[in-house]
Amino acid sequence: MTVWTPNDDGFADLSSHDTFVKGAPHNTFARLRRDDPVSWTDWDGGKGFWNIVRHADISELNRNYQVMSSARGIRMEDQTYEEYLARRTFQETDPPEHMKTRMKVGKAFSRPVVAEFEQQIRDLCHPILDAALDKGAFDATKEIARQLPMMMLGRIIGTPDEDLPWLVEKGDALIANTDPDFTDHVLDKMDTDEYRMMPFNSPAGAELFDYAKRLIAEKNRKGDTDGVLHMILQPDKDGNVMPEQEFRNFFCLLVAAGNDTTRYSIAAGIQAMCHQPELLDQMQEGGDIWATAPDEIIRWATPALYFRRTATCDHELHGKTIREGDKVLYWWISANRDEEVFDDPNRVDLNRSPNRHMSFGQGGPHVCLGMHLARLEVRVLFEELAKRVKLVEPAGDHKFLRSNFVGGIKELPVSMQAK
Amino acid sequence: MKVTWVLPGGEEVVADVTEGINLMEAAVAHNIGGIQGECGGSLSCATCHVHVEGDWLGKTGEKGDFEDVMLDMADGKVTDASRLSCQITASRDLDGIRLIVPA
Repeated sequence: MTVWTPNDDGFADLSSHDTFVKGAPHNTFARLRRDDPVSWTDWDGGKGFWNIVRHADISELNRNYQVMSSARGIRMEDQTYEEYLARRTFQETDPPEHMKTRMKVGKAFSRPVVAEFEQQIRDLCHPILDAALDKGAFDATKEIARQLPMMMLGRIIGTPDEDLPWLVEKGDALIANTDPDFTDHVLDKMDTDEYRMMPFNSPAGAELFDYAKRLIAEKNRKGDTDGVLHMILQPDKDGNVMPEQEFRNFFCLLVAAGNDTTRYSIAAGIQAMCHQPELLDQMQEGGDIWATAPDEIIRWATPALYFRRTATCDHELHGKTIREGDKVLYWWISANRDEEVFDDPNRVDLNRSPNRHMSFGQGGPHVCLGMHLARLEVRVLFEELAKRVKLVEPAGDHKFLRSNFVGGIKELPVSMQAK
Repeated sequence: MKVTWVLPGGEEVVADVTEGINLMEAAVAHNIGGIQGECGGSLSCATCHVHVEGDWLGKTGEKGDFEDVMLDMADGKVTDASRLSCQITASRDLDGIRLIVPA
């Protein structure tokens, strides 16, 4: 289903994954931003939740982690305390605990460290793009967008290329756990109780963890100290080592979240090139545009549609009372189209600056750990694509993920003409 | 109070800053290139690194433990004058402070 102009009726059910198979319901978000900035959604799968949709409101709450906690889960699904303990990553902690993990893993993803990957990313782009362009017409999500983040994941964790398709398949099963194309254990459609202590309620979590354990053992045996995993498993200055369960969940997070988000940013960028032909011309002119284009593509994509917080006390906002214990969803996808912040928000403007998008959860302690890598991958991929093509066109209907959590084009038929 | 940012090319930007906000927020409000402040001042990103010029450094207070670790992840050369500007609050004592944005 090709969706460029939003076509929801303005009253879409935000709790329903099916709503999102037609793309994000932007007319609904626009109405909520205008008329009902703190709205309540009933949900038949559990307790309902509040929707925060304006950029300014999300900005204000996002920094206020004392009132809006991450430590009760970050998706709309309810979690018991024991599930939370078993499944949590540092995404599901608040400062100062959150900062302790961040200190351990942050360096590996810091901008100076990530900048060293640029040539490696470029080298990976060449065969990916050449192979796709040889086909002429192809699914750009599968042939391009999926490939680069997967290959980079392999470089970062130090795993052999032949393992990558399996790893990415498992990562997809975790994060797209509401789309039957990606998992046999569709979260809202079957009894996943058996797996509720596993990361993302999924048996794929257990398989990934076994893999990580074998990988680390093998690396230790060889004395191989390359890669992020080794860096993360080093004791901190007080001699503390990340506990096994936390490492397991972090590894799953790395494989899942670090992979499909960049994929869907790249896919959304290619989708935009199909619909706004001037983007290719601008990219080919080059120069300053590469300082701003990646963030605009990532704003446009907003692969993480929302993150949830839980109120730690009663909180008043726009005349509504959010009660202690209520779930509160920050809809980044809505903030990123907020007319108050972005001129012509429904168009891609590669020169947009400043670009205060929230795709990475900017403005709060949980800002995306991998954001520098994501931007770099997006920039280099589109630089290399623009060097090679003279025409990018849609070649059929594209399809969105069935998920209200991850926004992504899972099939993107395009035709491209090489220069 | 007044704050001056010295940009990597040598250009200076001077702005009036409201007391009580932090100097990362002030920089973002004035679109100072090189200061992103992506985590909103919660010590999670190290994208508001500055060098505090000369004697102003002593007036900005002590670095915290977390700040020291985060500085290790920052862009630009980290020196004894390095601070994360989100950890410096605008106050009368700092009126006239000069911050160098590292290249």
